[in-house]
Amino acid sequence: MGAVIETIGLRKVFGGHVAVEGLDLAVERGQVVGLLGPNGAGKTTTIRMLTTLLAPSAGAARVCGFDVSTHPDEVRRRIGYVMQTVAYRGLLTGRECVEIEASLYHVPRREVRRRAAEALDGVGMLPHADRRWTTYSGGMKKRLDLACGLLHAPEVLVLDEPSLGLDVQSRHGVWEYVRDRCAGGATILLATNYLDEADRLCDRVAIIDHGRVVVEGSPAELKRSVGADVVQVTCGEPARLQRAIAGEGWVRDIVAGDSGGLHVYVEDAAVALPAVMRVGLEQGIELGRVTYSQPSLDDVFLLHTGRELREVEVAS
Amino acid sequence: MTSHPSAVQERAAAHPGRGSAAARGHWAQEVMALARRWWIELLRERLNLVLSIAQPAIWLVFFGAGVERAIDAEVIGTDDYVGFMLAGIVTFTIVGNGISGAMPLLWDKETGYLDRLMSMPIARSTVIVSRFVFQVAQQSAQILLVVLVALLLGVRIAAGPLGLLVILVAAALLTMSVTAAFSALAYAVPQHGTFFAIAGFVSLPLLFMSNAFVPLDAMPGWMAVVARLNPLTYAIEAMRTLVIRGWAASVLWSLVVLAVAAAVCLAAGVQQFRRQTGERVQG
Repeated sequence: MGAVIETIGLRKVFGGHVAVEGLDLAVERGQVVGLLGPNGAGKTTTIRMLTTLLAPSAGAARVCGFDVSTHPDEVRRRIGYVMQTVAYRGLLTGRECVEIEASLYHVPRREVRRRAAEALDGVGMLPHADRRWTTYSGGMKKRLDLACGLLHAPEVLVLDEPSLGLDVQSRHGVWEYVRDRCAGGATILLATNYLDEADRLCDRVAIIDHGRVVVEGSPAELKRSVGADVVQVTCGEPARLQRAIAGEGWVRDIVAGDSGGLHVYVEDAAVALPAVMRVGLEQGIELGRVTYSQPSLDDVFLLHTGRELREVEVAS
Repeated sequence: MTSHPSAVQERAAAHPGRGSAAARGHWAQEVMALARRWWIELLRERLNLVLSIAQPAIWLVFFGAGVERAIDAEVIGTDDYVGFMLAGIVTFTIVGNGISGAMPLLWDKETGYLDRLMSMPIARSTVIVSRFVFQVAQQSAQILLVVLVALLLGVRIAAGPLGLLVILVAAALLTMSVTAAFSALAYAVPQHGTFFAIAGFVSLPLLFMSNAFVPLDAMPGWMAVVARLNPLTYAIEAMRTLVIRGWAASVLWSLVVLAVAAAVCLAAGVQQFRRQTGERVQG
């Protein structure tokens, strides 16, 4: 049946403001796909269209083969949606929240209690199940939302900013659980503006800016597209080392740093590191530190938009 | 899905055609699930619960007893002022509950929980209908209490026990109108401040522009015309007739008008709900 999530020329206009501008996206079954972009890039608007909360202005979006505009009920049966903001649940206990949502998902009456307990256990909330929702920490509330989003074993899980506002501990908890769900074959779409989150969790990342997919691929592919790894070498005779390696096939460019080190741009640091050391030994040049860095998704964003994601974040 | 072998069957089971018995079963399950939510919240707000149930009885006792001597029995057509006021107090309670009853919908909208609900495979009418079911049940309990207090004060319902049942029906119809109207307002306003400004502004005139305190015959002509357009008037007329005079054909006419008003307000509520859930700007 091809892609589980597919959008073609998806567009959303609010008044005169274009929030999503011809977005094309395809997510295969079992993949974890990240929508990465700064606030206001159109991630949440895209997700709200995919979860049937907003009608597209133009274009089409299909989830599990069903058009979100013409078959919203079919789409809703197949998605689990965890919102960006924690869902307010008033005076209820965690267990009551989950049981009520289980009933809303038409879990048979006699199974509601058991299924709710399973879901609470899955996110580590069973010990806190009978406390009032208002006593929970932000991370616990978020995990409760996640438990609710997974109650009906959705084919597609949509997470809007899954770790936003969470402490490090519960953030890891969420990540592990998301990974568990992936092993079960679930397709996950997650919107984030955390580079490390997209990098660590996603099989593929679509970088979004001004309502369009700017570039899409696996995190590794995207970073490779930026170009070279960077090998940094400090040594006593940088000029001699530079001359010695200048003609080597694995070197693309060499820039002398300020502090007596060399920045060697290479195709592949895995090849370049032993080669640098070999040249050093052969030429009798004593090497100090040899390190390398890989381009981050921030570099990818920079390459394709001319801006740094982190700067955009700070500015907004 | 290998870790959830039952998921596929469950989804197949959760796939009834529209209008089928299974679909109706799902709808009832959804409505009861949300009504359970409203019910738990009501029980947890004890003070709120006690005050809201006691309020109409307190009104009846203090307002009724205090004003009775100042009222001309000729004008209101009976010397039983507490009996006359009973319908007005019930209606007053319905309006108050209509405002407080729309508040959870307002909070759901503002906190985003409405989005969570709308992303689920539930009937769009579930949210408002669950609110009706809950409001009518809560309302009926309050009315029975205030009627009990009225009986203790010496009021006798001329139409008898069956009349009390029809009073509850009239109250339920008005509850639907008022709940739907304030729900529509809750969905229509940009933020809750506007809701409270408008709700506060309309609630008292809604009562004064009805026959809650003064019979239509005793009003200036223009005011009686306005009162005739007010659904509250018909609920009060039906209830008051049943309490003071007993059975009359006009009661049926009032119930028909109330049913029409409920349908119109419900349509407005659903339309505002659709607008709200169809196009929302956020983030």
